[in-house]
Amino acid sequence: MAELSIGIAGLRTAVITRDPDVATVVRDRYEGFLSTGPADWRIEISPPSGGVPFSKDVVVRRDGGPARFSVRRHDFAGTVDVSERTADLTLTSPDDVSINSFLRILYSLALVETRGLVVHAASLVRDGAAYLFCGPSGSGKTTVARLSTDATLLSDELSIVRIAEGYGEDRAAPLIGIYFLHHGGRHAVEALGPKEALARLLPNVLFFAREADVTAAVFRIAADLVEAVPCFDLSFRPDPGFWEVIRNA
Amino acid sequence: MPEAYLTQSPRTAWRVYDGEAAVLCPDDSTLNSLNAVGTLIWESADGKTAVSAIVARICEEFDVDPERAERDTMAFIAKLRERGLLTVSETLQAT
Repeated sequence: MAELSIGIAGLRTAVITRDPDVATVVRDRYEGFLSTGPADWRIEISPPSGGVPFSKDVVVRRDGGPARFSVRRHDFAGTVDVSERTADLTLTSPDDVSINSFLRILYSLALVETRGLVVHAASLVRDGAAYLFCGPSGSGKTTVARLSTDATLLSDELSIVRIAEGYGEDRAAPLIGIYFLHHGGRHAVEALGPKEALARLLPNVLFFAREADVTAAVFRIAADLVEAVPCFDLSFRPDPGFWEVIRNA
Repeated sequence: MPEAYLTQSPRTAWRVYDGEAAVLCPDDSTLNSLNAVGTLIWESADGKTAVSAIVARICEEFDVDPERAERDTMAFIAKLRERGLLTVSETLQAT
C-alpha cells in the first residue's frame, strides 16, 4: 500500500493506493506538489478495473447524502464526500489524465467550503503580487505566461483562487487584479464593474455539480471575488508591453 | 383580475450591483442580467407584495404610464417564471 501526499492551494491530499502503477503515475505527475504533514483530504484509488461501463460525459451528482457526490466519466468512477473529506476512485487504467481530471472535480467541490474556485486562468506572481489572466482556450493565457519572463508562473491553464480573511504568515500572494483576456491589435485595459466581471468570470469557473445549492455557493464565492478584487478587460498583442498598460491602469 | 404575488425561487442566487441584479438560474447555471425596472420587480418578489403594487411603484419611480407598466411587468414575470426564477400565486405567501 502506497500513500502519497499532494499539497495544492493549501489543501493537502493523501492518495492511497495498492496499485504500484497508480502510485508511480501520481508520484511522477505531482512531483512538484508532493508534501508531508497531516492531510486535509484522503483519496483511495482502486486498481484499474477495465471494462466497467462508466459514463461517456462527466457526471457529478449528489448521491447518498447532502455532502456526498458520485463522479463518473468514461475513464473513471468515484465518490467524493465533502463532509468526511474522503474520496474513492476506480480507474479503467493507471492514467495521469484520468487522475488529474478526477482531482480537478474533487478540488472544485472541496474548495466551496473554503471559499475557493478553480478558474480557467493563467496565474502569475510579479513583484510579490498575484495576477489572474482569465479566459477560455485560445484567449491568450499561455501567451501571457510565455511573455512574462520576469514573473513566477503558477499555472497557464487552471488556477485556484481562495478568498482568505486577513493576512497569515503563510499567505499566498495577494491577488491584485483579474484580467479577462482577448487578443487585439493593441494593449488596452478597461476597468469592469462587478456585475460585468461576474458575468465574465462565471463561464470560466470549473464546476461540474448541477445541484442548485452548490451552484449558488459557487456564485456567491465568485461574486465575493469580483467585489473584492479589481477586474479588467485586457486586450493584448503578443509582446510583453501589456504589463506597462496594466501598471498604468 | 385577481391579485397576484411573486416569490423568488429559493434555488436562485443573486446580487445587485448599482441597482441592477445578476440572478443565477438554478437549472442551467445561466446568469440573468436585469435592468433597474427588472431589479425592482425581482426585489419585490417576496410573496407579500402584490403585482399591482409593484406596477404602481414602477409608474412612480420610472415615469411610465400604468398600461404600459402593467403590460411590460406581466411579460417580464412570464419570462422569469418560464426560467424557473420565480413563482406566481394568487394568495399572499407566508413568511
